[in-house]
Amino acid sequence: MGSAPRHSRDTLEFRPKMAETPPTRPAPEPDEASLEPDAQAYLELRQLILAPEQEALERLHQRVDDPASRTADVGSVVAEAIQLRRKQGGDEALSVALAPTIETALRESVRKDPTTLADALFPVMGPAIRRSILETLRSFLESFNQVLDQSLSAKGLKWRLEALRTGRSFTEVALLHSLVFRVEQVFLIHKKTGLPIGHAVASAVAMQDPSLVSGMLSAIQDFVRDSFHTSQGQGINRMNVGDLDVWIEEGPYAILACVIRGIAPRELRDRMAEVLENVHREYSGQLDQFDGETTPFTKVAEELSRCLEHRYRQEEKTKSFGFVYATAAIVFLLVAGWLGWRAVQYGRWDRLVNTLREQPGFVITSFGREHGKFAVRGLRDPLAADPAQTIHGSNVDPADGEFHWGGYYSLDDGIVEQRAKSILSPPATAILKLKSGVLVVTGAASASWVKDIQSKALLVPGIHSVELSPELNPGRLAFNQAKAQIESSVVKFPVATAALSPAERLALRNLVPSIQSLLQAADSLHQSVTLEVLGHTDSTGAEVANLDLSQRRADRIAWELGQLGVPERALRARGVGTMNPLRTEENEDNRQFNRSGTFRVSAPAP
Amino acid sequence: MLQKKICMLGSFAVGKTSLVRRFVESIYSDVYQTTVGVKIDKKNVQINEKQVSLVLWDIYGEDDYQKMRWTYLRGASGYLLVADGTRKATLEKAVSMEQRVRDEVGAIPFVLVINKSDLIRDWELDPALESHLAAQGWCIVRSSAKTGEGVEESFSLLTRKMLG
Repeated sequence: MGSAPRHSRDTLEFRPKMAETPPTRPAPEPDEASLEPDAQAYLELRQLILAPEQEALERLHQRVDDPASRTADVGSVVAEAIQLRRKQGGDEALSVALAPTIETALRESVRKDPTTLADALFPVMGPAIRRSILETLRSFLESFNQVLDQSLSAKGLKWRLEALRTGRSFTEVALLHSLVFRVEQVFLIHKKTGLPIGHAVASAVAMQDPSLVSGMLSAIQDFVRDSFHTSQGQGINRMNVGDLDVWIEEGPYAILACVIRGIAPRELRDRMAEVLENVHREYSGQLDQFDGETTPFTKVAEELSRCLEHRYRQEEKTKSFGFVYATAAIVFLLVAGWLGWRAVQYGRWDRLVNTLREQPGFVITSFGREHGKFAVRGLRDPLAADPAQTIHGSNVDPADGEFHWGGYYSLDDGIVEQRAKSILSPPATAILKLKSGVLVVTGAASASWVKDIQSKALLVPGIHSVELSPELNPGRLAFNQAKAQIESSVVKFPVATAALSPAERLALRNLVPSIQSLLQAADSLHQSVTLEVLGHTDSTGAEVANLDLSQRRADRIAWELGQLGVPERALRARGVGTMNPLRTEENEDNRQFNRSGTFRVSAPAP
Repeated sequence: MLQKKICMLGSFAVGKTSLVRRFVESIYSDVYQTTVGVKIDKKNVQINEKQVSLVLWDIYGEDDYQKMRWTYLRGASGYLLVADGTRKATLEKAVSMEQRVRDEVGAIPFVLVINKSDLIRDWELDPALESHLAAQGWCIVRSSAKTGEGVEESFSLLTRKMLG
């Protein structure tokens, strides 16, 4: 009778108007003999009308009931069905549904022959391991960098002190301070027994025994619920202990509890609900029948670790470091600018000092900074150029420095030359030059001045000897002077006689000192000298007589000079008659000049 | 890993906490017991080469000031019913507690632990009651939290019963 009602119901759908037939009755093959004629007719009619449908139904039943044909049916569409499901976006549910089977299959495969799976996995194992190692290293470096950054800031120093005070490691203190929040532990607790089903813990967090924490959490839940008579699902959903927060999310079979340090965002609650739902969906059967065995839940920790979120104060870090960097940069620029400016200033002053040093009449003894100003110390000759001119010509600010000059006599040739000129007052015709302490005098000058400077120049600081040009030699000067004087003298005679008047004799006497100085000068110049006395006549009279007369006149003068002490060897008397007239005889006066005696000094070169 | 929640039940001052302390290395202070009414400890035991993690819910014994919270029994796989050998009333209380447990959570494995065997001379138990209970199929262990006698035995016996 088991399948009968269904059968009947199926049949009924095809004859809704035949209500007088009991609906619950089955429709077996009726015993035709026992039926009334009407009923038989009805049956026949029914057979005629419904036979094809009934046969089709029979075939369908057979197909549905027969496991072999069902398998064949499903087998032919299973791949397409899975594809369709994926297209519909049911990936996750499909994976969840298939996962246990696949897991069992894998386990079975490993149990039978581990090498098959190992071989298949071999190509992916290496990269996966490498990636995991890289990931670990990267996160280590990140936290190391963060700690390193912080350890260099002022805040870092504060934390270091705190670490010293509290005995915690600096890393721990730094991480705690820069933490906005961190989910440290996640517990999945079986609601009924309070036993832990799964547990996930963040790295470097001191964890408690999950059994004890789970037990205590559910005991507290029970305690609160019991004490305040709340219904299921209305327990504690948040507990706060110091800087730890415990968020609790309750599901039908399990409780999810997150231990959070810091202030977590609202979104974490959504994440928890999502994880709890996933767990309930994936493990619905196991959760219901949980008897303390956690083996089926070994994978649950992966799901739980999705709640292990954390956030650090990134932006504040960059901000504070930006400030530090900016400050450092400004300080650096200021220092660099100041140093650069100072270097430029120093360079200008240095150039000025070198310029001064190269000028005659300056000696720089020291140059440096004194009381915030540049200080130049040295000696200056009074005749040296005015330093104010040089300073004005340079690009330094005179207010930035001070000059301290002491007086001295420079031995620089230029300065000594100036000094010589100011002390010796040379005539305009004389030229003074100084060469390494030697005063060289050229040009023309009076013998007395020349004589004067020869002693006076040596008193001028910086002059150790005097060198006169040949024409300025005192002997030469005296020689030339005497020569000029002698040669300009004229001794006049009366007409036609060689006798001297008393006046002319006196003039001769006055000429003697000049002759003597001439002889002396010649002597000092080691030069032989001859004083030629020339006798002249006017053009009147016979030339022969005149020649004789002129000779007698020359002799007369020479005799007279000899009488006055002039050595005879230096004298030569010669009558030239009218050959060298002093003047053209245009009148008596000029003729008188030609009745005379004159002198000529001849000095052959030595 | 197999975990089992077991409870410690018994009158006030029969020595439940002392037994637990004898059995485990505790991390929680006993203060919890008086505030929340329960203290939780854990002990791993090995029965027939199977590791079982026992989570012990040491429930505060009923006294004049605090009622026992039966809620804590929920989900327990078994319990130790503790009585004080020197106080006859505690055994009677244990018997009534067993009845109450059956009402609350059903028949679950338990072991009756009669504590303070070190003071056996002061015991005032009714041997007839004890044998009556034994005849009913009760597992009875005499223990001393002071000397350690029967402590391990009580827990392993209960575990065996729980694992069936």
